[in-house]
Amino acid sequence: MSPLELVGDFDHLTRELRASRPVASAALRERVAALGPAEPAEPRWAFRRPSSRLVLGLAAAALLASLVAAGLTRNDGTRQLKAARPTVDHGVSSAGAQGSPNALRRQAEKTPVFGAAIVPAANAARLQRYQATLRLRVENLESLSSATRRAMTLARSLGGYVGEVQYATHGGKRGSARVVLRVPVGSVQQALATLTGLGTILQQQTGILDVTRRADRESLQIAKLERQLAVATPQEAPAIRAHLRTLRAKHARLLRSAELARIVLTLTTPPAQVAETPSRLHRTLDGAAGVLLRELQFLLYALVVAGPLLLLGAAAIAGTRAQRRRADAKLLERA
Amino acid sequence: MDAVKTEFAEAAERHLDDVHAYLVYLTGDRATAEELTAETFARALERWHRFDARRAGPRTWLCQLARSTALDHFRAEARRRRREGRYAAAEPSEAAQVFGDGLSPELEAALARLSAAEREVVALRVVLELDGEGAARVLGISVTACSTRLSRALQKLEKEVSAGVAA
Repeated sequence: MSPLELVGDFDHLTRELRASRPVASAALRERVAALGPAEPAEPRWAFRRPSSRLVLGLAAAALLASLVAAGLTRNDGTRQLKAARPTVDHGVSSAGAQGSPNALRRQAEKTPVFGAAIVPAANAARLQRYQATLRLRVENLESLSSATRRAMTLARSLGGYVGEVQYATHGGKRGSARVVLRVPVGSVQQALATLTGLGTILQQQTGILDVTRRADRESLQIAKLERQLAVATPQEAPAIRAHLRTLRAKHARLLRSAELARIVLTLTTPPAQVAETPSRLHRTLDGAAGVLLRELQFLLYALVVAGPLLLLGAAAIAGTRAQRRRADAKLLERA
Repeated sequence: MDAVKTEFAEAAERHLDDVHAYLVYLTGDRATAEELTAETFARALERWHRFDARRAGPRTWLCQLARSTALDHFRAEARRRRREGRYAAAEPSEAAQVFGDGLSPELEAALARLSAAEREVVALRVVLELDGEGAARVLGISVTACSTRLSRALQKLEKEVSAGVAA
């Protein structure tokens, strides 16, 4: 007790009170002692402040879980990126029969990425429509311009022509060109071999459609009409002649299409420089930070939503306690 | 489990008089204090696993339990009185020595005239010699409020004793 509280007059009171303090009776001692052997109640759950060691352990476990989760997520992303790499596609169709998608996919998977071009040859004994699509990457705008010019020159040198040219640059650093070339079918392999040397192959697709039977059928129809025209009456002749003209024109177009292969060449410069790929550790740490940030967002969200309710609850508890304390005080004042 | 029992038995043996004295002062009645003391220790045994020595000593914890038990008793008594229509406070027992053997009649009478709230602070700080922090914890008030309450209680006690002697 502080000496300031018990100065002067209170000394004799405190001495007397302490000297005469009530003592528990023997009966009470026995009653309390008898409580000992009784089985204490099973401990019920009660909130206890967790030890700092436990909190640190839980925090470390949460961090580790975040890192593991981030690492797993990152691995999935890497696999997806690998699957999205470009491939060389050699879709070859013959006599109108296109290869099944699965077969084409298997073929594309077997072909090495950015490997040497495999160009199927046209059959000189048959009438075939040949179409090729070639996508190349060149180093810069200068290479783009040069490659475009060389492709056009090549078509002319092989006896073909340039069907279409589109050339565009962006910001003086990036650019692309699309050139549609028509070259004789007999020279298509040479043309493709030369064109693939203009840059790095990003995509190549070739297709052959055999039109021999269709041409034969048209020839037979033309011959039949010519025979009909020879014996036709003056009234029938004009209609047959018109039909014959249409059919001959169609046949001529078919023959021309089988004479010249169509090559679509697309040239592009490299895309804008992307940031250097971070290391696995950096990616994992980034992922962990992302997960933690997400958790913080959830926590903040929960606080924003539950905050007012928690405040109301706390205020209610505080109010109830204060009221109970006042009631207790009144009770003791009256007692 | 045996260790728990032993621990509790030791604490009960050591602090039985303290708890009893506190309850005598709080209730102003020996018989009631004995009942409440037994009830307090029964509760203490039940809740012994909740006792945390880092927060308060066993004596303080037992006194808190005793106060809670006594308040429950007072509430039950108040309800009973209301139910029975007897609003007058129960007269303290006129049995010779309630607050301790050997107390002067004036001091005994003066203590009886104090309220339970005043007597309990005297019991905790003077009789049990708890420090300010421990007493404040038992009473659920601040240390300053506890000191103020003690000072007023002692002044009133002194006044009552003087009045008794003069009479």
